Amino acid sequence: MSTHFFGLTSRTYEYSHSVGRNEFAGTGFRNPSDMAVDAEGTVYVVNRSYENRPDGVRITACTLDEEYISEFGTYGEEDGNFIWPAGIALDSQERLFITDEWLNRVTIMSKDGEFLGKWGSGGSGDGEMDRPAGIAISEDGTVFIVDSRNSRVQKFTLDGQYLGQFGSFGSGPGQLNMPWGIDLDKEGNVYVADWRNDRIQVFNSDGEWQASYGQSGDGVGQFNRPNGVAVDEDGDIYVADWLNDRVQVLAPDGRFVTQMVGDHVMSQWGKDKLLSNPDMIRQRALAFANDPTYERNFAHPCAVRVDSQDRVCVLDHTRGRIQVYSKVKDPVLV
Amino acid sequence: MADQQDVALMAHLLRRAGFGASRDEIEAKAAQGYDSVVDELLNPDTVPNVEEDLLMRYMPAYHEAAAIETNIQAWVWRMINTPRQLQEKMALFWHMIFCAGHSKIDSGQEMGRMIAMFREHGMGNFRHLLWLLSTSPAMVYYLDNSESHKTNLNENYGRELLELFSLGVGKDEEFNYSEDDVKACARAFTGWNIAPSYPPFPYGRSPWEFRFDPADHDDSEKTFLGETGNLNGDDVLDIIARQPATARFLARHLYNFFVADDVQIPAWRLTPPRDMKAIEAMEKAYFDSGYEIKAMLEVLFKSDFFKAEDVRYAKVKNPAEMVVGTMRLVGEHRDIQPGLFEFSQEPKYMGMDLMNPPTVEGWHTGREWIDSGTLVERINFAADLMGNTELPGVQSLVGRLMAQGDTLTPDQFVAGCLDLTGPLTVTDDTLQQLRTHASKDGDLSTANQAEFSRRAGEMFQMIAATAEFQFE
Repeated sequence: MSTHFFGLTSRTYEYSHSVGRNEFAGTGFRNPSDMAVDAEGTVYVVNRSYENRPDGVRITACTLDEEYISEFGTYGEEDGNFIWPAGIALDSQERLFITDEWLNRVTIMSKDGEFLGKWGSGGSGDGEMDRPAGIAISEDGTVFIVDSRNSRVQKFTLDGQYLGQFGSFGSGPGQLNMPWGIDLDKEGNVYVADWRNDRIQVFNSDGEWQASYGQSGDGVGQFNRPNGVAVDEDGDIYVADWLNDRVQVLAPDGRFVTQMVGDHVMSQWGKDKLLSNPDMIRQRALAFANDPTYERNFAHPCAVRVDSQDRVCVLDHTRGRIQVYSKVKDPVLV
Repeated sequence: MADQQDVALMAHLLRRAGFGASRDEIEAKAAQGYDSVVDELLNPDTVPNVEEDLLMRYMPAYHEAAAIETNIQAWVWRMINTPRQLQEKMALFWHMIFCAGHSKIDSGQEMGRMIAMFREHGMGNFRHLLWLLSTSPAMVYYLDNSESHKTNLNENYGRELLELFSLGVGKDEEFNYSEDDVKACARAFTGWNIAPSYPPFPYGRSPWEFRFDPADHDDSEKTFLGETGNLNGDDVLDIIARQPATARFLARHLYNFFVADDVQIPAWRLTPPRDMKAIEAMEKAYFDSGYEIKAMLEVLFKSDFFKAEDVRYAKVKNPAEMVVGTMRLVGEHRDIQPGLFEFSQEPKYMGMDLMNPPTVEGWHTGREWIDSGTLVERINFAADLMGNTELPGVQSLVGRLMAQGDTLTPDQFVAGCLDLTGPLTVTDDTLQQLRTHASKDGDLSTANQAEFSRRAGEMFQMIAATAEFQFE
């Protein structure tokens, strides 16, 4: 008997579990926009919330095993406050760098929530920012900030000294249109979610354009406003394909590997919430029978991160949770 | 180049068929030509839509937003910024007729979806719009059709569909339907219900879905408005759509909303329309077009009765028009930025709680918008914005005023400000008061730009506080 094998079959992704629920405080997330995962598996989630619920604006720290640790940061313009928190990254000293799209600044905090500093100002000149979104920090301490409305990526030292920039407005190679997410691979190449051009662009660490992957659409290798991007140790690229409600996985050369659309099973925090309300348990059971996909699938996934254990974490903006997948190289029976 | 009359007429059109415009926009549209602009308003697909992706990028919680406040913010932002102004005005029009409110529905998302339905289909076929309304889960719930069963009838939706959503109680002193028609109508809609939806916790409500349950539908014979058969909801909507009373109902609503304040709806059976010829012209368009709302609107906006001088500034602005119109004039929130929540609540402070009308009858309009409390709120709101010379729209007006000459006499100063904020026509008394105030500081010179700007802002504030500014 012979058979045929199509596609890139050397790795696959197995849903593990979910973390979180929709919540304005404590054990959950509210309209999260980005997250960072440290070496111990602690995740720091940026909660954007919305304007008439400023109490939901905060950073939540918890483990990927769903142990709540703390939350810090509040809505406002003072030190340690946020209006439109957007991106987050850890430096080698495990300090948190958080961008704010409205205040046009970067806030630095310890993992315990202590305010350590801030830098940045609004504008379009060198070192100025207009709605900074994604942020990534290289091992040598260079901070890459996606300067979205200036259609560029800017480089800074850890204390905010301007180092350089690349990118300009447009749709040609190396040009950007309201970029959002960013990540670095182990060689220091820079991957940018070129949001309004519906593609991922790759630059080397000097900002020279290397490649562009994707175009507008909902097919294979096509994107609808991709906002999050991550690269793992193997060079595989993960794209939060925001308005297509999925994550696409691309090989290092940009070829399509697979997609995830969500496999959520109720998290513990979700169960805790439901168990306090029998009416909602009944209602949910009927709704699940009517449509099992609603809760299971992603709804505006906005960030992807791969941790040191090859766990692919997808932050689900509308549902306020993280869906965790394992990258598996052995055959998996689905 | 458009003359002053063209500008005044275009300003009138853009106030009524939209939420007003900046002076720059008014002049550009006047140069484009009146009929061309009407055609553009009637065919929103021919102009760009609001940039929804940008809206959700900076306000990402707008997607499937559960909170009513968030849905109201998103709607107000659209009113301010959509290039498809008539489309958004029609969403408001239908919201004021097909009333359902958050106080009962308790789902901001469903209210937002209902408004989106009005936006998408508000200029379409009226029979189809009634079908969408009858299958709207929010309306099915709001008017208790979800509690109306084959064996236990609830007449609420059947009654309001006839009384408030299509025929109206009566016309030309006759009644349009009987109690038996109400019962037959309600029976025809039994089984029109809602599928189970996910609860708010822990991951958010799912959108409600319409579901027809044939086992709960009364399929027996009914007589409705003289027609007999095993009628279902679709049959009832067909019968409603072909009634002369439906055409009258729609025409009077359109006239009341877009042309001139008429008597309140309960008086329509006994009180003839203010302009019967206008109503008859729209009724004819309704039938000639096969129930198309756009056809009625085209007759309305291209008619002499709409363009007439005596209907301009003769309608009291509703609170949404007051808030959004002022914000468009002064250029506030034309970008996506924080601070919209407070603005979006302003119509409520003025008596119009968007997405939450007081009853299924909606708001009483015209001069009933004004009382001592709401008047203060309206004046304070408009005056605060109009006097803020930091705002781009106000700066533009000041710049235009400066371009009128190095020195303006008090009379020229007042005339210039009235022209730029409308063009607004005021009574002699009001004009005299404004001139008296302007005279206190004498001529206005561009030599001192800061002082020029201050006095202009102050005059714009005074205009915002006039009785005339309450009208559109």
